[in-house]
Amino acid sequence: MIQLFFNHPLGRTIAIFSLICTSILLLAILLSPILVPIILSFALYALLEPLSEVLERQGLSRSASSLSVLLVLVSAAAIVFSVLLPHLAKQLSTLQSQLPSVWQSLMDMGNEVSQHLINSLGIDITTSSITQHFFTQANDWGSSALIQGSNILISLTIFLILVPIITFFLVRDYRSFRNYMLDKLPNSNFEMGWLIYHRVAHQLQEYIRGILTQSGIMCVMTSIGFYIIGLDSPILLGATAGVLNLIPYVGPLLATVLPILLAVSEVPIELWLIGAAISVILIAQIIDSMIVIPSVVANAVNLHPLIVIMGIIVFGNLFGFVGMVIATPTLSTANIIYRGLYQGIKTRCDLKIENATEN
Amino acid sequence: MNSKHPLWQNLFRPKDDRISEVTEMWMSTPLFEKIPTKECRELVKTMHPRQYKKGEKIFSSGEIGASVVLIRSGGVEIKAADKLLAELNPADFFGEVALILDEPRTADAIATDESELIFFLRSDLEEWVKRSPRSGAQFMLNIAIVLAARLRHTNILLSLQNS
Repeated sequence: MIQLFFNHPLGRTIAIFSLICTSILLLAILLSPILVPIILSFALYALLEPLSEVLERQGLSRSASSLSVLLVLVSAAAIVFSVLLPHLAKQLSTLQSQLPSVWQSLMDMGNEVSQHLINSLGIDITTSSITQHFFTQANDWGSSALIQGSNILISLTIFLILVPIITFFLVRDYRSFRNYMLDKLPNSNFEMGWLIYHRVAHQLQEYIRGILTQSGIMCVMTSIGFYIIGLDSPILLGATAGVLNLIPYVGPLLATVLPILLAVSEVPIELWLIGAAISVILIAQIIDSMIVIPSVVANAVNLHPLIVIMGIIVFGNLFGFVGMVIATPTLSTANIIYRGLYQGIKTRCDLKIENATEN
Repeated sequence: MNSKHPLWQNLFRPKDDRISEVTEMWMSTPLFEKIPTKECRELVKTMHPRQYKKGEKIFSSGEIGASVVLIRSGGVEIKAADKLLAELNPADFFGEVALILDEPRTADAIATDESELIFFLRSDLEEWVKRSPRSGAQFMLNIAIVLAARLRHTNILLSLQNS
């Protein structure tokens, strides 16, 4: 029975695929303390590799081009931190000062709705108990965030040191390391291994470059939109929309929450502002779907939307925000590996059967 | 004094006899015609040498191919439906169609001796074309010439068979 399972192409593919997945999972668990900087470095590598290629084409050695790429990366980070960060911090403090009025507006709205329900339908919902519970929960979140604040600061410092170093070594040595590992494959699987690797690498690079470009465009579009309609902290809101856009399907929905909350906080409540905030996100999404996605991210992921959504939910539940971001490329990679393995194994099995019948 | 004597050699210069030899072999093929030796040499560094035992299959008809193969040492025979199509020797190459098409191989390749084969993968070619578009275009033209010559040869064989 077991032999029959392993002799069948599907059984053999499932066995090898499970082995590969388990190995990757074990490696991920082993590297879990530095997994996020590694993922971020790989994303930066995919983004910066073309620059390194251009420099090499100009005659620079691999090390020199990698070093130049590192300098570009550090300079870009320095510019972002020195120019954008104070501005973002200012907007964040504005947002912080607005939070009480947001809660107040929400409570007022809740009371109005409650009053309306009592008057028209005779249903009494005591909003005070709900809001009380909400405030207790918010307080808990706040205190745990403060406790975790110092840990986040340490993690951020480690990130800032680790990410450029890992990225530099990836740009310089990744190809040699990849060749060394893939050349270890047995002769019979050498070409198939390279073929699968190439397909995975190509699709992942396309996806990462596409999704980062798309997020950047989304960030600029929504920032401009929020600025035009006069919403406070437009850059912060735009940056949030851009980051959330990294999560397919679910991200754009989450991106509407913060602008709507801010629009609601205006006293008196201006309905047109809420509508305008939603419109900015909607228009940006339409432009994104009609122009940006077809030209930047098109065909980078050949997965059914339902699988992507389910993957995002499961990965998000397991690994939080990072899980939601990496869900799509991980599923796409698994899909290519499985298909490549099945194609190779099935061809071999068919050839074996053909030879056996000929003999 | 002979400069090739170990005492007079530059100890810090890496030994690259293999790279020079493989570069020379590739340069003697029509695939690398009109391509600067320096570029070919850089490319050879990214290629994949592999050892095969006598009688070992290199690839089979029906398998998806991803590379052109150069014989550095040993020998290879190409068979289709158990019919011998060609016997290849060092400095010969085969499987160049796989550089262009993502399609199954149309013949079997078997090592007739202990052989060292140099694989030049499609993915390496694509990276090289991006890095050096001019040489890449020349390489593509060379492949087209090789494939056209093979097609012409097959057509002549077929017409001879029919007549």
